Amino acid sequence: MNEILNSVYGAVLPSAPYVIAAYALIWVALFVFVAIVIRGFKKSESDIALLEERVEELRTQKEAAEKER
Amino acid sequence: MNKKLLEASKVDRYVPAVLVAGALISALGFVLAFTVAPLVHGAAVTPELIAGQLVANQLLFSQKIFYFHVPVAMSSFIALIFTAFYGVRYLMTRDEGYDVRAKTATEVAVVFMIATMVTGVPWTRFEWGVWWSWEPRLTTYLILILMAIAYFILRTAFSDSEKRCSYASVFGIIMFIDAPICFMITRLIPSSTHPVVFRTDSGLPPDMLVPFLICMLGIVLIAFALYRVRLRQSLLSLRIERLKEELDELE
Repeated sequence: MNEILNSVYGAVLPSAPYVIAAYALIWVALFVFVAIVIRGFKKSESDIALLEERVEELRTQKEAAEKER
Repeated sequence: MNKKLLEASKVDRYVPAVLVAGALISALGFVLAFTVAPLVHGAAVTPELIAGQLVANQLLFSQKIFYFHVPVAMSSFIALIFTAFYGVRYLMTRDEGYDVRAKTATEVAVVFMIATMVTGVPWTRFEWGVWWSWEPRLTTYLILILMAIAYFILRTAFSDSEKRCSYASVFGIIMFIDAPICFMITRLIPSSTHPVVFRTDSGLPPDMLVPFLICMLGIVLIAFALYRVRLRQSLLSLRIERLKEELDELE
């Protein structure tokens, strides 16, 4: 390759993988955070289901106690 | 506790739109950064005509990192302002809703700090030939990251919620003090190899400044949307915990 072009391109292209990697890694960091938030929502959903179950149990117990009276 | 602080706010309605707008604006900014913004000139080379243009210097493609590295770093600083603000609000009111907000802001700050590091390190490797350098900006930013990690470790050290919130609020305010130091260090220590980006005589020509500002706006919108989504989830978790405690008391 032409020595001058080699010098010019040599300064431009070798950094491309680093620039692309940096750009990609931002999105990796953001997606990991989004995944953590989604996991949190899923945990909250399962907790709500457990709470509903518990409330239902308490209601049944209360109704049974009232019937006994 | 103020119940309003535990509920989703009207702002949350607009969060998906803000997130989409942030993604589109930052995408536009990045496209402009690679297409409109010129390459920065490096060391002089023997002039050569390339595509009709006389090139007399090396063209630094690596400088393109600037368009996403600086906005994510600025977003991490902005998030820390929220941490300190809600820390002060907690200490004034002792309302746990403010502590949840401070914690969420710190989480977002950590994400953007990591993004800042992972964009800065490849640039350091290429331009300086090393993966790490104890340069003033890098060092103060590393201290900031370690403090943010310490903030979460501190939170786990207390089982009593009032103690945890109080100590975390104070630590959050102290942590915020490092943000302006980190921001100003390139001005305080002129030998720093980090360029001063924000200055009154704006060193950036319009075709670099406009893509940069568009990237900045997009990233800040993304940070805000992520903060609101995470806050909503954290408040939901807190409400569930409260309900569990109330149920246990009723049984």
